[in-house]
Amino acid sequence: MSRRVAIGFVTILIVGLIWLMVTSVFGVIPSGRFPSPAETWSALIHVSGRGYGGGDLLLHAYNSLRLVVMGFVFAIITGVPLGLLMGWSRRAEALINPVFLIIRPIPPLAWIPLAILWLGLGDAAKILVIWFAAFVPSVINTFAGVRNIDRPVIEAAYMLGMPRMRFVTEVLVPGASPMMFTGLRLSLQASWTTLVAAELVGAFYGLGRVLNVAQQDLYPGMILVGMGAVAILGWATTRALGMAEARVMSWNTAALAAKG
Amino acid sequence: MNKRISFRQSVLLGFGGLILFIGLWHGLAISGLVPRVFLPSPLEVYDRFTTLMERRFAGATLLGHMLASFERFAYGFILAAVVGIPLGLLMGWYRLLDEIVSPLFDALRFVAPIAWVPFAALWFGTGIGGPIMIIFAGAFPPCVINAYRGAKFVDPRLIEAANMLGTPSHRVIREVLVPSSVPSIISGLRVSAGLGWQSLVGAELIVASAGVGYLMVQGQANISTTTVMSGMVAIGLVGLALDSSLRLAERVILRKRGLEN
Amino acid sequence: MGVIQFKNVGKVFGPKESGFVALKDINLEIADKEFVAIVGPSGCGKTTCLRLVAGFDNPTDGAVMVDGTPIKRPGPNRAVVFQQFALFPWKSVYDNIDIGLRNLSVPKAERQSRIAAILNLMNLEPYAEHFPHQLSGGMQQRVAIARAYVLDPDVLLMDEPFGALDAQTRVVMQEELVRLARKNPRTVLFITHAVEEAVYLADRVVIMTRAPGRIKEVLDIASIRKAEDWDSHEKIEDVMDLESFVHLRTQIWRSLREEKADQHA
Repeated sequence: MSRRVAIGFVTILIVGLIWLMVTSVFGVIPSGRFPSPAETWSALIHVSGRGYGGGDLLLHAYNSLRLVVMGFVFAIITGVPLGLLMGWSRRAEALINPVFLIIRPIPPLAWIPLAILWLGLGDAAKILVIWFAAFVPSVINTFAGVRNIDRPVIEAAYMLGMPRMRFVTEVLVPGASPMMFTGLRLSLQASWTTLVAAELVGAFYGLGRVLNVAQQDLYPGMILVGMGAVAILGWATTRALGMAEARVMSWNTAALAAKG
Repeated sequence: MNKRISFRQSVLLGFGGLILFIGLWHGLAISGLVPRVFLPSPLEVYDRFTTLMERRFAGATLLGHMLASFERFAYGFILAAVVGIPLGLLMGWYRLLDEIVSPLFDALRFVAPIAWVPFAALWFGTGIGGPIMIIFAGAFPPCVINAYRGAKFVDPRLIEAANMLGTPSHRVIREVLVPSSVPSIISGLRVSAGLGWQSLVGAELIVASAGVGYLMVQGQANISTTTVMSGMVAIGLVGLALDSSLRLAERVILRKRGLEN
Repeated sequence: MGVIQFKNVGKVFGPKESGFVALKDINLEIADKEFVAIVGPSGCGKTTCLRLVAGFDNPTDGAVMVDGTPIKRPGPNRAVVFQQFALFPWKSVYDNIDIGLRNLSVPKAERQSRIAAILNLMNLEPYAEHFPHQLSGGMQQRVAIARAYVLDPDVLLMDEPFGALDAQTRVVMQEELVRLARKNPRTVLFITHAVEEAVYLADRVVIMTRAPGRIKEVLDIASIRKAEDWDSHEKIEDVMDLESFVHLRTQIWRSLREEKADQHA
């Protein structure tokens, strides 16, 4: 085990101990403020078994995950092609850029009230906001990815008489993919953040709803469980994306080096 | 890539795109395909925006809300920078500190800042502490990470040169390490400001009694789409102003060092 | 057929009156299967000449033609070997060579045999499934040359192809290119600033002035090479030792030195 991992372990252990002592053993932090490990555990049992806020943990997690995946996928299906187009065609870039520049400063979360106004508190509003949050980084990074392709490689493709469709699939997309994947990672992050926020504002199911109800019930143990669940799902989806990236980009030494 | 187009062409196309966008919006709004209450025309939004700047809604004028939001943002952002930048620098220079703090960082990385809202509400109610905490949660990581990178990836040859010239440690820190970390720090501040501002908006949507986010929630509750859109515009404007000024600061600092590319 | 003609060619970058004049009054004819090298000081426009034949740029004045037809855009009949290799990093060696043939709609069986032949010729057989990042610079450039050659192009355009390689690899590549060119001749336009390379490889050497680039001098190498029987020497260092070689090389150096002197005048 490397030194770094070992120290990491020790740190987490120590933090865990401090948590235990500060909350349960010495009662420095009253249980109303921050839950002790025991309280967190019982909240976890609570939401896994009896359910809380309208469903059990699996149901809430599933719903949140479902919405994130749907919004994320819609975003990349729309964002990546647009990024490719804007990267490739300077005309398209000139035409679309100003609109983009205007919409961009508006944080995705700021669309939540509008989405709720339009679509209510159900899934559709959430997917809309997630789509928007994930769309922007996809476009921008795919655009940058295309522009980043070495000029001689593009000229070589021309010289080889590449028909248009093949040019897109066998040159543009692979060439842009390093930065494109960076954009996808950012999109995924944005998707989770937006989903949690949207569910906090108002939802029937989901981890955000669990957080919301727990807050109103003054149930800190449950809040911690909710946060933990969000973190774990976020980590898992990011990992999945990372694996896809490694598979697709086995040719890219820089990316491989970054993964370590 | 396609051949470059002339500056004139790109400006014309840009204008064209803009006008097309606003035109479509306006046309759609007027046509009646979408109920007016859901899609007000650009003019109506503009109208409402200017009205709100003077008339109170949900407790204050739009300007008042904007100032309230910005005030909280400023506290949270400055706190994040003051705590985060030194921490990042120290982590970059002292490996042990890096090894201790990094795992905690990685563990918390996947918790979106917004997920701290319930705790913030629990601890601070609707007081100013809540939003500040969320802003801090959003703005803190980029400050640390960029300061860390700036410190860690100092060109080792600079250090070697300083050592060769017999520079005492504290001088090395002050005159080599800190200055060479500055570009990374500034870049981090820009990202941090953006994330902090976004986090603030999120926080205000959920727990606030003033601020632009609160204004939008009230607008939504009252089915006043123009109010909601005015809020969005206001948020965008402030965000843009923040980003532009930091970008400018970044460019000035980089230019002074001849690092501009 | 691969006859290249430059007729009163001029190239200006930027607005016509005030832009950078890269080329002026270029008149040159390259015969079919002739190997022509262009040398000159930096910025003299030699790469621009190549790019005009390749079709990456178009002339501002005059016309550049291949087999009598003006060149409008790039194509596989004028294959290019770039200084930076420009291989597709996400494709294997085999696929990099294959794609040009696919674009020409060559049937699969024929593609396979042609690629096998060129891999054999360039000593690349063991590396067919490797990716560019796994290969050294010299190997990558071999792949780039293979990629161009397999197209059976009328014209081969080489833009300082060995410029990015270290000195030893460079020499090996020069010997290989000579072998290839004698075995499988075609029209070649070769850009370099290494005078010895030009004299060793080319039938004629064109010397250009500094910007605005004009043709200063054209030296005939082929007749001397044949008269002195350079090809009887297998090793490049033996050829470079010959008096006839040294004489030509020195002639070109002197010519270039004048250009450089004017620059600092």
